[in-house]
Amino acid sequence: MRGVLALTIFGGGIAHATVAPAIRIADVAPDIPLIVVVLLALRRGPEFGCVGGFVAGLLQDASGGGLLGVQAMTKAVIGFGIGTVGARLRVTQPLVQVPGLVLLSVLEGLARFTLLKLFHFPASLGELMVYVILPQALYNGFLGAALVLALAWSESLREAR
Amino acid sequence: MKARTVFLLALTLAVCLVLLTIQSRGRGDIAADAVAVVMTPVQKGLAAIHRGAVGLWTTYLDWKAVRAENHRLREEVRRLRVESLAVSETQEENRRLRRLLELKARLPIQTLPGEIIAREWGGWVRSLTVNRGRGDDVRRLTAVISPDGLVGRVVDVRPGSAVVQVLTDPASTVGGHVLRTRTPGIVEGDPRGTLRFKYMARDGTDLQVGDVVVSSGQGGIFPRGIPIGRVRAIDDRGAALFHYAALSPVVDYARIDEVLLVTGDLMQDLTAFFVAPSGG
Repeated sequence: MRGVLALTIFGGGIAHATVAPAIRIADVAPDIPLIVVVLLALRRGPEFGCVGGFVAGLLQDASGGGLLGVQAMTKAVIGFGIGTVGARLRVTQPLVQVPGLVLLSVLEGLARFTLLKLFHFPASLGELMVYVILPQALYNGFLGAALVLALAWSESLREAR
Repeated sequence: MKARTVFLLALTLAVCLVLLTIQSRGRGDIAADAVAVVMTPVQKGLAAIHRGAVGLWTTYLDWKAVRAENHRLREEVRRLRVESLAVSETQEENRRLRRLLELKARLPIQTLPGEIIAREWGGWVRSLTVNRGRGDDVRRLTAVISPDGLVGRVVDVRPGSAVVQVLTDPASTVGGHVLRTRTPGIVEGDPRGTLRFKYMARDGTDLQVGDVVVSSGQGGIFPRGIPIGRVRAIDDRGAALFHYAALSPVVDYARIDEVLLVTGDLMQDLTAFFVAPSGG
């Protein structure tokens, strides 16, 4: 558990720091730690999702220079929630993965916005939604689906051996 | 749901709320410092990994660009080499044609330019085929010359071409004389592809290696004074009536590409119109 948790957090962090800027499209970068937390929470359950989301979010908060605890909280809640209901979702279907990740990303964005508003965050939700949350959510959806397919393919290869 | 799971969630949220509360009360530094103690080494590590990954990626991109550029440059070099060869070939052809045209303009006789389209280079027959024939009013025994000297004579005329017997053909004989001493003789082809000059011993006592032999104009086939060859060796046969001199042809028959067919007056002396080779 600890090894996978560390891998998740650091792998996500490294990917976010290295890959995300490189695969930016029209200045929109995916939230790779969120994708990794969601995907592994689906497999490992709510505890993993909660702790993983918390540490990954805290790492993002610290590296971004914003309010500490905002992303830690939103990602912990998302990880916990998806880990809890994941057993009841048919997440192997791309038709579920893409909209699911888009929805989760939007929810995470809304939660973050709500938290930040408590601390007098100046930007309006409309602008944030159009320019930040929705584009990133769409990107997360497609990238997450691609990751799920890649994982499923590698597992099928391993089983075939 | 397990109590542990709920407790974990509650603890996580509590930590977050504590962090946010501390920051909202203007003591953000304490929280940030506390997190920084833990996070800074991690961030440093991540930054190092990031730099390494970016460096690797940049190196890969550079390598890819260099490889593509290398491929492109190789293609360009290959294309330029081909172009360079074509240009050299064109320049060489231009130079040859220019020499031929200069000769044609210089000569006081009527000539017809022709291009070599085939060569027969066996030991039995040595001939060239030019792209001028019956339609160009070329006749049998027409003299064929080049800027360097005499090439041969037309022995067969066809509708679009003519066969030229070159001087080195074993059946070829041409009347000639040594330019310096006026020693008369006969230039004969040789099965080895060389020329020999047959002359009377009493006339050729002054003959020297390097002397130039030109056509004598006798026989009415070749104009007088066209260079044939240069004396390479003298075969002194003692008291024999005829002596021989081996000649180096002034024309490289194997490489010649363009010629002039003499269609006009053959009685002119053309010695002054050819660049006199040294020794003449």
